[in-house]
Amino acid sequence: MDFTFSPEHVALRRMIREFAENEVAPIAAEIDREGRVPFETLKMMGEMGLLGVCFPQEYGGMDAGETGYCILMEELGRVCTSTATNVGAHIGIGAMSIYLDGTEEQKQKYLTPLARGEKIAAFVLTEADAGSDAAAIRTRAVREGDSWILDGTKTFNTNGSFAEIVTVLAVTDPTLGARGGITAFIVESDTPGFEVGTHENKMGIRGSSTAELIFDGMRVPHENVLGKVGEGFVSFMKTLDMGRLTLGAACLGGAQAALDWSIEWAKTRKQFGVELAHKQSVQWMIADMATEVEALRSLVYRVAWMVDTDQPFTQLAAMCKMYGSEVASRAIDTALQIHGGLGYTRDFPIERAFRDARIAEIFEGTNEIQRIVIASNIFRQHGVRIRP
Amino acid sequence: MRILVIMGRVLDPGGIAVNRRRGRIFVNREEYVMQPADRCALEAALRIKDGLQPRGAEVVALPRSVLPDDDVLRLAVATGADRAIHLTSEGTVEADDAGIAQVLAAAAERLGGADLVLTGATTLDTGQAQLGPRLAEALGWPQILSALHVEASDGHVAVILKQGKQYVTVEADLPAVVTVLPDALKPRYPDGVRLINVYKRIGELAAAVEQWDVADLVDVEALTPLLEKRGQDFPPERERGVRVTGAPREMAQALADALRQWAPS
Amino acid sequence: MDASYLDLLMAQQEEPAEAEGMEAEGGGGIWVVADVANGAVTPVALQALGAARTLADSLGAYVYGVLLGEDTTDLAQTLYQAGADGVRVADDPSLAQFALEPYLSVLWDLIEAQQPEVVMFGATAQGQALAPRLAQRTGGGLIEHVVTATLDEATRTVQGGFPIYNGEYFQIAACPQARPQFLTIQPGAFPTPFLDPYRKGEPTMIDVEPVEPAVRMLGPARDFDPPPAPLAQARVIVAAGRQAGDFELVKQLAAALGGQVAGDRGARDAGWIEPEQIVDVRGVKVAPDVYVAVGIRGNTFHGAAIEEAKFIVAIHPDPDAPIFEVADLCLEANPQEVLPLLLEALG
Repeated sequence: MDFTFSPEHVALRRMIREFAENEVAPIAAEIDREGRVPFETLKMMGEMGLLGVCFPQEYGGMDAGETGYCILMEELGRVCTSTATNVGAHIGIGAMSIYLDGTEEQKQKYLTPLARGEKIAAFVLTEADAGSDAAAIRTRAVREGDSWILDGTKTFNTNGSFAEIVTVLAVTDPTLGARGGITAFIVESDTPGFEVGTHENKMGIRGSSTAELIFDGMRVPHENVLGKVGEGFVSFMKTLDMGRLTLGAACLGGAQAALDWSIEWAKTRKQFGVELAHKQSVQWMIADMATEVEALRSLVYRVAWMVDTDQPFTQLAAMCKMYGSEVASRAIDTALQIHGGLGYTRDFPIERAFRDARIAEIFEGTNEIQRIVIASNIFRQHGVRIRP
Repeated sequence: MRILVIMGRVLDPGGIAVNRRRGRIFVNREEYVMQPADRCALEAALRIKDGLQPRGAEVVALPRSVLPDDDVLRLAVATGADRAIHLTSEGTVEADDAGIAQVLAAAAERLGGADLVLTGATTLDTGQAQLGPRLAEALGWPQILSALHVEASDGHVAVILKQGKQYVTVEADLPAVVTVLPDALKPRYPDGVRLINVYKRIGELAAAVEQWDVADLVDVEALTPLLEKRGQDFPPERERGVRVTGAPREMAQALADALRQWAPS
Repeated sequence: MDASYLDLLMAQQEEPAEAEGMEAEGGGGIWVVADVANGAVTPVALQALGAARTLADSLGAYVYGVLLGEDTTDLAQTLYQAGADGVRVADDPSLAQFALEPYLSVLWDLIEAQQPEVVMFGATAQGQALAPRLAQRTGGGLIEHVVTATLDEATRTVQGGFPIYNGEYFQIAACPQARPQFLTIQPGAFPTPFLDPYRKGEPTMIDVEPVEPAVRMLGPARDFDPPPAPLAQARVIVAAGRQAGDFELVKQLAAALGGQVAGDRGARDAGWIEPEQIVDVRGVKVAPDVYVAVGIRGNTFHGAAIEEAKFIVAIHPDPDAPIFEVADLCLEANPQEVLPLLLEALG
């Protein structure tokens, strides 16, 4: 077993870390305060090829594999969760859905500009009545000649307010439900009938855009059906699996940051005549935090390797997301405790990280759903089909 | 136009701790970065190349010493250099700047000559600025040192540098050697696709980094270092809280004297 | 007052004692190529002469000053006063401004003819341009930015110490075989020698054949935007706190020292500085060579942000101010009183 990263991944990580520290970190507090998406950063990343990090070079990507993508998410998550969210929605579920299920023509037409960072992607599923119960979506797609008319409202969508290419899940046959009734469509956001609704005012990840999308008689050509008609649900399950791993990687970055800040503070802050590092209670907090980060790191990169070597990974990806989000929350909470009063002020990044981390346990499939996925997989391997 | 960029690596100072009392240096984290001034030199070369499109220019990266691996050179290609030459040798070659200047001059000749050589004006660790001028002497070319801005075309190079408190422009005919100050320019990031391909050694960049044996360029015997290391000295432990006493005028004078030691400009 | 020692000194100057094994003629020796600026010998050249003198006395060698320029012949006397035994002067219009090829030509001929053991330059733009080229041409070794110089008498080798990572520690190097040994001397590292007004001499004039410089000066660079200098990388910082009083004086001190202005949160509240200039764990961590805290009380949050500064000066009226626990040099005084006098003393 060789646990070392290959030379290109080491070099990639170094490049991304420098970029993250010099371009992303300095504006992280500002984009949170102003609630704006850092388009200038996304543009720079596009020019460097980072927005296509895991896609093949024939589609304008970098071909650094899922490992490369996890490295990107970890390094971004380490400095700015909002930026990691913007990038994750673009690469991990938006462009990824087209990569996994698109025809050759669709990949050439849509994936290539996304991988090159010329356009931004979004993945549009959630509705007011359909969060964890994703199959309960009501957005309708009705066939009319060689196109489909879409009507409906989507909520809590990341990137949808500015993305050019969005993958939309809609009901094509209300009688069939998840199995056969849902279809995925590639939609260009300048299509008439595509409206951006209310922007959400969030606790954290305020440097990312979460908005309502309204489709009103929106006409989408039949050739934009992604995958087969009626197989949209299966398609998005595949996409979300990939997304879970990389969200785990972003949480790893956040947890690592919390650990680094805590160590730095323990070295610096003196009370009772010595640095906090000499106090056992702080030592134990740091030891526990570091152990969880290491465990998460091993899990994330092992699963990345499994993806890169075409092995099944659904259950482990769910573990990455579930464990990652909880490790990150625990780490940042402990970091806040170590920093004391100073950590509670806005002068320090801790309070922003605290607010940002919380969403990870909720979006991309709540941790409760993840636990169901994991348990179902385990029991199926033992011959038991869990009744939902 | 062919531009050579001489690049080196340095141990990341963040990974080093110096214990003055025990007179020891601890390397906690052995990580190497490109010499910052050399990175600016590469950026200057790439900007010249960008300016000369579509005719273009060829940027070739060479190392500042006989390096144990070619990582810095791969990174240079990833950032935009067209080629790089990695110097290898059978045994360990310990050469200092005097010897390397000869090797690089021979390498330039073997490449078929060059129009401009760019390198960093100083090194982050040793603060030695001699490689650029030594190479200029070995090549027999003019030199311009400590550049903040470099432009080259049609047989001339024009450089902006600081003289005293003023910024001035100077010019020389090519071929010439120019050294660039660290922080003079904002260096660009590598290109992701080039990075992956040059490290994986695939596609067009499979052979971008060539391996040249030092023995083919110069007589290795002649590369014996001129300088010998004779140990380290450590600054005294700081004595904090030293009071300056006296009337305000005396205090001011004592402080002025101390400041002159520390900020001679 | 017994001034008989002066007679002895003057007697010595009329007939310099011959060192053993040295040509009275003037070959070999320790040379100092002296920079000239604003019509005077630069401080670093004098400091180099002082260092050369110390080494020469142990080696039993002569110290030769070398002066290049136009109308600089009179300055030779300063070199004698600083300790030179002999001075060579190249006084020619073609040498009026420093240019590489003309200066190299003169020095190369001199070095070839006289074969010095050691050649020292100030680590100035001139010295840093000349020393490496001469070293490469002669096959000599060069140690740059030397801050300490001791002698290995057995091999007549100078051991030069130079800063690593901007002074974290000092590496000592020597050039045991190759000759000449070249050194560039860091300004301010060596003491300025006492200028003895009774030490005089007759300089040797060197013939100069004009050589065309390869680099042409085009003039001031108008509209040039210098690269931004972030506070975190500044080498000299003058920071103000609430007790600084007149912020103008703080700015003037920063300008006089060639540094940047910063402050603590109090200075920001007073409207003197921008938030990006706050030195604090919650703001910018700095690592300058010199940090002058003017009227800053200081607390652990400020102290932690300046712990990498090499030399910290604090001026504050309250003797119990916490800043005095981290500062190297402490002035318990009112900044308003001290700063004008300090600016005067700095000239």
